[in-house]
Amino acid sequence: MEQSFLQHLCQVLYDSPFGTAIRESDNAFSVIESVHVLSITLLVGTISILDLRMLGILLREIPVTRIARAVLPLTWTGFAVMLMSGFLLFWAEAAKNYLNPAFRVKIVLLLLVGLNPLIFHSTIYRRATEWEHQHRSPWHARAAACLSLLLWSGVIIAGRAIAYF
Amino acid sequence: MLSPQHWFEALAHSPLGHYMQTSQWAFAIVEMVHLLALASLGGSVLFLDLRLLGVTLRGESAAIISRDLGRILLVSLVVMILSGIGLLSEEAMKCFYSPAFRWKMALLATAVAFYFTLHRRAALRAGTGAASLPQRIIAVVSLLLWLGIGIAGRAIGLI
Repeated sequence: MEQSFLQHLCQVLYDSPFGTAIRESDNAFSVIESVHVLSITLLVGTISILDLRMLGILLREIPVTRIARAVLPLTWTGFAVMLMSGFLLFWAEAAKNYLNPAFRVKIVLLLLVGLNPLIFHSTIYRRATEWEHQHRSPWHARAAACLSLLLWSGVIIAGRAIAYF
Repeated sequence: MLSPQHWFEALAHSPLGHYMQTSQWAFAIVEMVHLLALASLGGSVLFLDLRLLGVTLRGESAAIISRDLGRILLVSLVVMILSGIGLLSEEAMKCFYSPAFRWKMALLATAVAFYFTLHRRAALRAGTGAASLPQRIIAVVSLLLWLGIGIAGRAIGLI
């Protein structure tokens, strides 16, 4: 059967001794999975505080940039652990994941959710000192906050759905 | 009063239980809601406790942070308990006999009681200077309790 390069790569990972070891171990997969869920909790739980602040729902009295400086190191820590644990899970299941529709949706959502802060930080957030004290941030920032909340929720939902396909 | 076992059996045989046991997607969807609420609960607990520890936003009022994040915590907690009852009804008797589930409920009761008593009071009293030792202990206990609930919850599916 003709295989795409990506599918071939997934199969190689899946068949590798390390991938097989994770898959066949009694506990490795579920332990890594628990770390993965905790890191997503850290990531999404903290970034949503910043999002809700920009929407004017909480901590209105505190400037947006102060919240961002407090929240983002935690978010990035969660992101790094999520990526590493996620890659280990993928390593063990790559050949199955490649064909899984929920996994594909999750990857697309992750790419979109990565694009969002990239645009946000290079545009509206550059002038944050002008609006950081406003109880409700300007609509650009609120749109980015809504997108972030929606996309991260989508990542969690699609991620959970992988197990059901 | 009827025994806990009776309540678990009643839940398993309730209309909700029947629906969760027979529907193809209900369990998965309720589980996703449970996970989404977990993320917002986890984030608010962590942030609150880091403030109490004096790690983050030390210059800002702990009372304001506790008031605002406390709301998120409570809303998420209610969503988690409601969705949790839905998940429980699908496999009530399995949970009844599961040590992990019993641990989770015991830790949850402790965490909620701890939050409404010592934790909230500590947040209201916390100044903007360095964190006091009791305040730090309360934050660490709170983090450990909530983390324990998560780990016990994950274990329900494994043991």
